[in-house]
Amino acid sequence: MPHRTIIAATLVTAGTSLAAVAQDAPLTVAMHYTQEQAAPLLACLEEYDADGVTAQYQQISYRDYLQTVLTGRLGGQSPDIYNLYSIWAAQMVDNGVLDTPPDDLVSFVTDSYAEGTVDAATIDGTLWGVPTEVSAYLLVSNMALLREAGYDAPPATWDELREVAEAVTTRNAQGRIENAGFAIADSSSGAGFVHPFYALLYSEGGTPYSEDFAEANFESPEAVDALSLMAGLTQDDITDLSVDAYDFPAGGIGMMIMANWFKSEIAAGFGDAFAQDVVASAIPMGEEWRTLQYAFFMGVDSNSDRPEEAWALVRHLNEPRDGGPSCMGEMLAGLGALTANEADNAALPEPDAFTAPFVAALAEGRAISQPNVMQSAEIEGMMAQTIERVMAGEAEPEPALSGLDVEVEDILFEFY
Amino acid sequence: MERRPKEFDPAGGGWAPWLFLSPLLVFAALFFVLPLGFSVYLSFTRWNPLGTPDWVGLRQFEYLLTRDTTFWATILNTFVFAFGFVVAGVPLALGLAFVFSRARGKAVWRSVYYLPQLTNIVAIAYLWQFVLDDRYGLVNRLLGMAGLRGPDWLTDPVMAMISVVMVMVWYDAGKNMLVFSAALEAVDQEIYDAATLDGAGATRTLWSVTLPMIRPAFIFVTITSFITGMGFFALILAMTGGGPRGATEVTALYTYRMAFEDLRMGRASAGALILFVIIGVISLLQFRALKERAT
Repeated sequence: MPHRTIIAATLVTAGTSLAAVAQDAPLTVAMHYTQEQAAPLLACLEEYDADGVTAQYQQISYRDYLQTVLTGRLGGQSPDIYNLYSIWAAQMVDNGVLDTPPDDLVSFVTDSYAEGTVDAATIDGTLWGVPTEVSAYLLVSNMALLREAGYDAPPATWDELREVAEAVTTRNAQGRIENAGFAIADSSSGAGFVHPFYALLYSEGGTPYSEDFAEANFESPEAVDALSLMAGLTQDDITDLSVDAYDFPAGGIGMMIMANWFKSEIAAGFGDAFAQDVVASAIPMGEEWRTLQYAFFMGVDSNSDRPEEAWALVRHLNEPRDGGPSCMGEMLAGLGALTANEADNAALPEPDAFTAPFVAALAEGRAISQPNVMQSAEIEGMMAQTIERVMAGEAEPEPALSGLDVEVEDILFEFY
Repeated sequence: MERRPKEFDPAGGGWAPWLFLSPLLVFAALFFVLPLGFSVYLSFTRWNPLGTPDWVGLRQFEYLLTRDTTFWATILNTFVFAFGFVVAGVPLALGLAFVFSRARGKAVWRSVYYLPQLTNIVAIAYLWQFVLDDRYGLVNRLLGMAGLRGPDWLTDPVMAMISVVMVMVWYDAGKNMLVFSAALEAVDQEIYDAATLDGAGATRTLWSVTLPMIRPAFIFVTITSFITGMGFFALILAMTGGGPRGATEVTALYTYRMAFEDLRMGRASAGALILFVIIGVISLLQFRALKERAT
């Protein structure tokens, strides 16, 4: 047998074997939840066997998620199914990373999920997956500290918030804050500054961008007012930036504007006192308050060699089971996270007193989706630095936001 | 007549030298030349790793050098960090090496000071966060017990830079101390004896004998510390994340973020290349200056 024939036969055999191995390999579902958090979902994945197609879980830390996906794709080793933060979606769609869902799945989503949350998984009118975890921001108060300061209910307006925060704040002999009336979260992404800003901006009636994302609206009076409200807290010494809202579970912080996903941490910190002492309430901006919501959604990689099977698994994980909640719904409920899946919400027990206001904010349409703009992470990093500089007293709101507006429009100009 | 051994000549020795050199050459090509070449190519493109690179010529350099004020701020931070690290770290390492060369149980002391090098840098960052936290940190708690208000180590822009330099010096002192120790051990005792006979005191011996004798080690440590300081960012990423308000954001961290968070590989490569050139030029100048003084 000539050598060339032997080499060709060997390559064909090897290629066929590799393809067979790929077909036999479990579908990979990549999420940022730890094994412990994802336990109900892991049980579903372990049981899954659709005509020989099985599934496995891959945990990628939230902070490294995008990088891991990119590196994996460059190396040709991407997972089949992603759980994506909606602000990453625009770039992934723009670069053809995601597969379009089949029609029956699109109908399943549009029929079963709240409209506002479907928007989070929609880019330019096309749905790219199944919404999973939804988070909304509300005012979260430590009522034990508020009661100690003489207040029986959380504030309903910003002026009230300032008054309550000032009353709660105590300082030690060196002037350092011991109990903080209000705190901002110190997160690496800058979300601790940006997300409360969005909540105040929406409550002021503003929007961060024009509808087509061609222009930024950070110079608008609403944006200046929103930032001025935040900055007033530090400028008037009601709080300072050395206090981190992520320390709320330790009990020394009166109020923060925070998402519901933090519930499990707060509950762990407060223990038995959680139900009595921790209250979630409206963003204190009067009757017309609005807030921010963001969502994750499950999508399929366009490089998956079994897209149909992958979409079937996505549906399986998100579809109610015999009148009970879906695998995903059960997992999210365990985490104290929200889902916009109406069947899940009907199947799950009534939310507790802490979670109910978040559910209501989503149901009443007060929670507005985080914009799915290109380069979201980069833009929000810039926003965070601007907000922090103003809150630290290094800049005034109006000129700082003008500068931000120019920088952001520079980015928008590249893409829109 | 005695036969002289043939000198090694890789160009004239046939294929054998190249065969033996080939693993090293392949390794260098794969892991140094290729990535560097790719990075240089990327710096002339606009590329997010999800798509394909678009050739944009010098636009990335133009943007960074003429329009990106943050980039210049990070260059300044990089110099402050690197100079702070060299100015505080090199004398400290030299001092420790000098003290321990005369101390009892010097091997134990050297091992103790080398320990941070064996620890994960992220663990070190978290450890120091606990120590330096403004409200709950050990240092400020102790100062508070003494009735003193400690600095805002991690939330004040100036103090945050001082803090990261301090921790970097602490982390690296043991490594440089070992280099200085080896150099000190290599100085011939007879030279010290001669200096003593000539009536030189301890200080004169240090300045006129010890330091000149260990100058090669001093040049090595200064230049490598400077290069390390200019390109190091893992500690800062884990300890302050570049904050507060960009006060500790060095260029390496800025380009890392640009590449992996903002998905701007082309611009990040251009930034990294500019940093590479700056480090190269300054290291060369530094090497020449220190060598001239030595001769």
